[in-house]
Amino acid sequence: MRAVVIGAHRHRDDISGDAIAIPLGDLFLSAVELAPQQPAGDRELLIRVAKIRARLLDVATFIAVRYGFVITNESDAMSKCGAHVDRWRALLDEHRNDVELTLKIAAATPQPRPKRTEFANGADYLRALHAATQGAAIDGAFREAVDARLVPLAKQHRWIHRDNASMELALLVARERIDEVNAAGTALKSFDVPFLLSGPWPLEVFAQEVEQ
Amino acid sequence: MADSDEELSLLETLDHLLDRGVVISGEAVISIGDVDLLYLGLNVVLANVDAIIRTARKT
Repeated sequence: MRAVVIGAHRHRDDISGDAIAIPLGDLFLSAVELAPQQPAGDRELLIRVAKIRARLLDVATFIAVRYGFVITNESDAMSKCGAHVDRWRALLDEHRNDVELTLKIAAATPQPRPKRTEFANGADYLRALHAATQGAAIDGAFREAVDARLVPLAKQHRWIHRDNASMELALLVARERIDEVNAAGTALKSFDVPFLLSGPWPLEVFAQEVEQ
Repeated sequence: MADSDEELSLLETLDHLLDRGVVISGEAVISIGDVDLLYLGLNVVLANVDAIIRTARKT
């Protein structure tokens, strides 16, 4: 068996529908089984997994695992994820009723994206890519409005330099406050700033260990 | 507008699938041919449709 993992869940009953449940200590991984010879990058599979992922979030909040992680059985899952179980259990218990929302904002000063062919080595290219990402800044007044109107509705928030042309605000929000966040987001349309508020998403940003 | 909304929703969903979530050490980078899907995930369309239209009119 080969299965591409979707996420980590607190209870077996949190996994339903087309996903299979693979025990991971007292947690469970949701996964979609791959057909023989089927690559994990299969286009139809990607879309299928995306839909299953959304349905799983309707049942209960889970920790999202970045796409591409494939396991073969329960012992394989434990050998690769066992070190995370205690931390994941704590997160799932604490945030069962919380989801993430993402506000993606076009940069007022987008940075030119470095071209790989113009660099002699990969390290220099990655450094230039990082500098371009960190250099992208959004409109100051818009950011102030976001900090005043959206951030107070969230339990946690994190500003992220996502790429050379945008910044992103990740919000950890109680499910019952999603409508409030959406309303606050709609009010931001008075600004002449392109943005996209999306979600709800499973625990993505807030499940990651903070980089020091 | 409905079609563009659906397309945007799919793009955003795929971006989250490919470029978000915890990374398990040892995972492989997914590629199709010469195209790195994780790299693709960085190129998301930004769309407050109203603001984009206003911006387009100015230029």
